[in-house]
Amino acid sequence: MSTLRCAFVALLAATILTSVPAAAQERLKVIASFSILADLVKNVGGERVEIGALVGAGSDAHVYAPTPADARRVAEARLVVVNGLGFEGWLDRLVKASGSKATVTVATKGIKTRKAGGGQDHGHDVDPHAWQAVANVKIYVANIRDALAAADPAGADAYRANATAYSARLDALEAAVRSAVAKIPAARRKIITNHDAFGYFEAAYGIKFIAPQGVATDSEPSARDVARIITQIKRQKIPAVFLENISDPRLMQRIAKETGARIGGTLYSDALTEANGPAPTYIDLIRHNLTTLAGALTS
Amino acid sequence: MGEQLRFRDLTLGYERHPAVHHLNGAIETGALVAVVGPNGAGKSTLFKGIVGVLKPLAGGIERGGIDPRDIAYLPQVAEIDRSFPISVYDMVSMGLWRGKGLFGGIGHGDRGTVEAALAAVGLTGFEGRAIGTLSGGQMQRMLFARLLLQDARVIVLDEPFSAIDAKTCADLLELVRRWHREQRTVLAALHDIEMVRANFPDALLLAREPVAWGRTGEVLTPENLTKARRMCEAFDEQAEACVVEAA
Amino acid sequence: MIYDTFIAPFAEFEFMRRALVGTIAIAFGAAPVGIFLMLRRMSLIGDAMAHAILPGAAIGYLLSGLNVFAMAGGGLVAGLVIAIGAALIARTTELKEDASLAGFLLISLAVGVTIVSVGGSNVDLLRFLFGSVLGLDDQTLLLIVSITTLSLLALALIWRPLVLECVDPGFLRSVSRAGGPAHLAFLALVVMNLVGGFHALGTLLAVGIMILPAVTARFWARDITMMIAIAVASAGVAGYTGLLLSFHAGLPSGPAVILVAGALYAASVVVGPVGGLLWQAFPGRHLEA
Repeated sequence: MSTLRCAFVALLAATILTSVPAAAQERLKVIASFSILADLVKNVGGERVEIGALVGAGSDAHVYAPTPADARRVAEARLVVVNGLGFEGWLDRLVKASGSKATVTVATKGIKTRKAGGGQDHGHDVDPHAWQAVANVKIYVANIRDALAAADPAGADAYRANATAYSARLDALEAAVRSAVAKIPAARRKIITNHDAFGYFEAAYGIKFIAPQGVATDSEPSARDVARIITQIKRQKIPAVFLENISDPRLMQRIAKETGARIGGTLYSDALTEANGPAPTYIDLIRHNLTTLAGALTS
Repeated sequence: MGEQLRFRDLTLGYERHPAVHHLNGAIETGALVAVVGPNGAGKSTLFKGIVGVLKPLAGGIERGGIDPRDIAYLPQVAEIDRSFPISVYDMVSMGLWRGKGLFGGIGHGDRGTVEAALAAVGLTGFEGRAIGTLSGGQMQRMLFARLLLQDARVIVLDEPFSAIDAKTCADLLELVRRWHREQRTVLAALHDIEMVRANFPDALLLAREPVAWGRTGEVLTPENLTKARRMCEAFDEQAEACVVEAA
Repeated sequence: MIYDTFIAPFAEFEFMRRALVGTIAIAFGAAPVGIFLMLRRMSLIGDAMAHAILPGAAIGYLLSGLNVFAMAGGGLVAGLVIAIGAALIARTTELKEDASLAGFLLISLAVGVTIVSVGGSNVDLLRFLFGSVLGLDDQTLLLIVSITTLSLLALALIWRPLVLECVDPGFLRSVSRAGGPAHLAFLALVVMNLVGGFHALGTLLAVGIMILPAVTARFWARDITMMIAIAVASAGVAGYTGLLLSFHAGLPSGPAVILVAGALYAASVVVGPVGGLLWQAFPGRHLEA
């Protein structure tokens, strides 16, 4: 009898011991404020990091209301990565309320900022959407690398390697964007959109994002609104229209027909899409927007 | 002459309660028959059966080969919407329906016919009036004009003279006599016994079952009238299924 | 100045011209139907129908996704089934038409909501199905014109039984079997004009342009043909003026047209010669006998 019990205990011990090595490589818990940042952190942190995003794919960080579960996740995290520049108005209070001992890193430190545009959804002076310019994201990556290294010195080399590799991909991306834009005739480098998040993209690559005159946010546009948009497009010779707040596809078609403009597809600005969507990572997001823009603007 | 309507063991009623019970008999072509009886005697029910609006509970009606829709029918209470914007002329000209069908135009050629009908009932000059502006007597005259235009061989009138003035009554009775001279078959349900004695050669005294049927003088005797009055008005809620065999 | 206000918007912009044509076309189809609805005391059917077509659209969506044909077609079928089913029940049982229709509508709406939620989507189907008068493409214009033409032809065909069914249904029953089919055909016209109107112009505009001109005409005519003429004219005026209001003052287009139609109605209630309030208060000296 006691032989059997000994064997049992040995088996149990062996099982426990073999599972310990995994525990020894406990990953660094990091929380990013929104999906794009989370993607960057994942690329720099690799296997050493367990990353989560507060504002997930497809959600809007401007109107996000944190939940108690979020407070718990922030409390458990060692590092919190945020965009800053006024993008996450709700975050400071969340961190304080959660009693977290995590370090909060602002990923945009050192970026040359722009002033905010017409201000449809932002009340701030500074435009927070710095990630729209690929060059800025290299700075994001550097800041993230340094923050990770500070929190987990043992992995500093890994982080540096990952960051360098990712930055190389970003360089390739930047080149692709510039060459695609160069192929668009200069006179056609403008679109109408009610997104006001593309200021950095416009500044970096020269495509003008023009706000529509008149068209109200959601309810039925009036004849006056439609007339104004048509006049604006014709006068400024804008080749493509990206108006996602006009929900009636037939009205969009009418505007397109009457002005000769193309109807553009969807542009993603503030969040990644789900894994099976067109923009599940940051690089995919930029590529998607680029393809969509180029497709609409090249004749 | 021949029979225009034959009733074979006819039972008509509502929700299985008979209002006309085991009626047998016939009406000759060209007859002028008054149907008389107390309230609830089944007069309106019988007329609805004759015109085809009500299906018999038992037995049947033979109509001498004519379509029930060719029988002109004046119901006791017309379900007419008096607020509808239609003129007397248009309303009366609907009487030409059977001749015209669904799409046949009622045009200028028919104007003369319609106006003649209006003249016959004393409504010349009323062509353009909206029906909502007519008095009770004028409404009844208008409906008679429509009946005239229907030009039917069988005419069934349910209480046509109640609630109208004496002059209108006299004028419309004259029309009924004219129909009789034209050898049309006319049935009329009436309350006024004296009017029946004065104008109708034949009568059917009905009190759910036929009490008497034949020449008016023989039917409307005091004994018969008393017998008819004894008929119970209300339906018998405890009634069993009727097992009387057909005659 | 006159040109700029009243003509220029239509001369300069094609979408305005299309909107005007579309509104006037549907006025010709919907106004006569509206007159009959009013005379038959069925004026509320429009709003009811907007909800009733939900299960049809839902089934269309389940079968082929956000395909406008499938959804509009499904809505049309649902509308027809409900209108005709309610009418048949009313004709063959004791139930009157308003109660019968109410019964069908409630069931239909519940079925529609259930299908949508069980089908697992929270897309607002009806909003997708309904259009706007400013976005009339060739296909939709063709749809409106076809519906109007069909309506007018059908009305001419069933005119006599329809009128008689309203004014003296007993007489109609005694001389013809056309009453039932004529009534059902009329209901089909109502559904067709409404569903087509929803798809082209949105719910408010489609129902409003059917009912408001009709009730306006009540105050100006005693004869049904005249009523129809006035209803069509008033619908046309409402369309033209409403579009101009939307253009110059920035009002949303559908509501602008209906506001003008409503103003015409309100004015008619007061000054209309047939039963208007002013005429009731001051009837003038009575005539010679």
